[in-house]
Amino acid sequence: MKIWKAIVAVGLLAGLLLASTAQAQQFNWQQFKGTQLRVLLNKHPWQAAIEPHLKDFEALTGIKLIAEVYPEDQFRAKVLVELTSGASSIDVFMTMPAQEGLKYMRAGWYQPVDEFLKDPSLTPSEYNWNDFLDKTREAMVAEGKLIGPPIQVENVSLMYRKDVFQKYNVKVPTTLDELEAAAKALNGKPMTDDGQPGFGIVNRGKRAAATSMFAGMLHAMGGTWLTPSREPAINSDEAVAAIDMWGRLLRLYGPPGSENNHWYEASSIFSQGKAAMYTDANSLWPVIEDKDKSKVIGKVGYALFPKGPKGQPGSTVAVWGLGMPKTGKNQKAAWLFMQWATNKDQVFKVQTEKGVLGCRDSVWKDPKGKAKVPADLAESLAQGSKIGTPLWNPPVVAVAEVRDAVGAAIVTSIQGGDVRAAANKAAADMKRIMAETEKK
Amino acid sequence: MQNPSLAAEARSASWWTLFVERHPVFVFTTPAAVVVFILMVFPVFYTVYMSLHSWFASSVTAPEFIGLANFRRAFLEDERFRNAIWLTIYFTILATALQVVLGVALALLLNRPFRGKGFFRSIFLLPMVATPVAIALVWMMMYNPTLGVMNYLVGLVGLGPFKWVSDAHLVIPALAAVDTWEWTPLITLITLAGLATLPLEPYESALIDGATPAQMFWRITLPLLRPTIMVALLFRSIDCLKTFDIIYVMTAGGPGFASETLNVYTFQVGLFYFHIGYACSLLVILFALVMGVSLLLIKVRRGSW
Repeated sequence: MKIWKAIVAVGLLAGLLLASTAQAQQFNWQQFKGTQLRVLLNKHPWQAAIEPHLKDFEALTGIKLIAEVYPEDQFRAKVLVELTSGASSIDVFMTMPAQEGLKYMRAGWYQPVDEFLKDPSLTPSEYNWNDFLDKTREAMVAEGKLIGPPIQVENVSLMYRKDVFQKYNVKVPTTLDELEAAAKALNGKPMTDDGQPGFGIVNRGKRAAATSMFAGMLHAMGGTWLTPSREPAINSDEAVAAIDMWGRLLRLYGPPGSENNHWYEASSIFSQGKAAMYTDANSLWPVIEDKDKSKVIGKVGYALFPKGPKGQPGSTVAVWGLGMPKTGKNQKAAWLFMQWATNKDQVFKVQTEKGVLGCRDSVWKDPKGKAKVPADLAESLAQGSKIGTPLWNPPVVAVAEVRDAVGAAIVTSIQGGDVRAAANKAAADMKRIMAETEKK
Repeated sequence: MQNPSLAAEARSASWWTLFVERHPVFVFTTPAAVVVFILMVFPVFYTVYMSLHSWFASSVTAPEFIGLANFRRAFLEDERFRNAIWLTIYFTILATALQVVLGVALALLLNRPFRGKGFFRSIFLLPMVATPVAIALVWMMMYNPTLGVMNYLVGLVGLGPFKWVSDAHLVIPALAAVDTWEWTPLITLITLAGLATLPLEPYESALIDGATPAQMFWRITLPLLRPTIMVALLFRSIDCLKTFDIIYVMTAGGPGFASETLNVYTFQVGLFYFHIGYACSLLVILFALVMGVSLLLIKVRRGSW
């Protein structure tokens, strides 16, 4: 009997081995050998981290990569001009769906990749799409179609001075009410190295720039940009409460002149030790922890953006991803590159080597995977990217113009003006802009 | 014929040589005319043509002819446009007035004989040669209400603290101050040139008649300098009407839209919102404004005040 069992066991084992080798053989990395791919990259930490590994892809697949890197403004203009011309030779490009997704999808410029992802001959089973943090997957979808895999994520989150909170015995806020209470309690308290008083909170207040961080407060309050029938919802009670609170915090407990503060000015004030709290993208942590410029290194805690009155999360999920144009001649080879660049090994490498905030849950769960970033940042990022909202931008075609319209209401709120009237004006402007730019 | 190849060359080139000799005016001006046409005349007419269209550049639709609807919208419906026109005029008047007064005063001061005159003249011209964007960045730091030096300086004389460019009411004067800092030397320079050409005789006879220095300034110097000052004023008002760099770098039109001049607004509409047609009509309006002011000033210079 024992012999029989052993034989069966050996047989099963052999079968398994055969099956797995057969499966591994099934995935043919060399299927597009000799193809050339033109890849357009934005100058970005992810690009800097992946570039040294591109030759691994070429060795694995026999595909030749021609990577072009441009600074962000030129990069966006270049992609836009090439796609508008309809005669682009781009095969893969970095894309930010919340910024341009709807516009490009409606114009028919993206090739959706849903089919490629499902096809086992193009995507090996170990790719494991569900390993990507929930909302980062959702953030790569426009009009129900998948644009591509996400490569980097950031959330609006709460950065706070651990030392200051401890010294004055204030609880780290987890709700908006606690946020305001903490800002009030800490405003004017000594907090710089030389004992100078600082502000309770610092945030962006500059027109369009403020909207992407304000989005956290908007969603925590239970508001959003548009109703399901795509009518402006920026003058709903919840949205007005959010605009009011964003302005009130800065007016009462923030630095003077917040109306003109972009992330650069706001993060300077925070990293000079002149503010107790700062809600902005957690991807700013290298600025906050900059050895040469920051005075608050090691003193900053990273937490989720506070929850709203009904417990709604305020985290936003902003992703950069990869996309391919419909005009691409080598779409399957391009997909091969896209899935290779975002498979577990590559995400692990860029995250551990350069501290890129990747989108894979398994890498964040790996102690080695999160070694490069502060522990509480790793934890809050993984959590925020599962529960947050991808709508850090209004889901419209004319994103920049609508952001300016909403930003004007935020500035009015900081200045102490009539928030309700400003929100109504923003809603009317949104309606007009959408009518102009989204006519079919 | 010692050199046959040269002769051949001369023969083959002869029709061209003859042509050049017969039509020198045509031949020598054509390259310049072509460049001017391609780079200046064509864009102006194309802008006017596009200003009659509606074109959202990032959509797949082609430009659509809508006649004067863009202009109607600008003047009748667009609050940001009206705000921008007002701010453009406000900024221009404030900045040019400050610059002319300070510039002429500086020129009169520098025109007196004193030790180290050349040195001071060069020092006063320095702001003009600096890069505007760099100037804007430095001033932005100085104006920063929390970390900047300006609040400290006004604090010394018991004023402030101000929010400077973050204050909706103060932002245009604050920007005009930066423009004044940068461009007053231009007025000084032009006025100094004017002062150098003034005749001595009127002053001599005024002295004999017992005129005071103040009388001499108001009755002789200023009237004689008027054409020079008008030229300086013309240069500066054209430049102020289309100031872009310092405003865009320092405030991008903010806070809210409190410093969004016509040029800054047009930039946003065209290159951020992609409403190319509307942006072109705004440019046509800006062009008309600059042209109108220039013609007016030229007329004033030729006629009497």
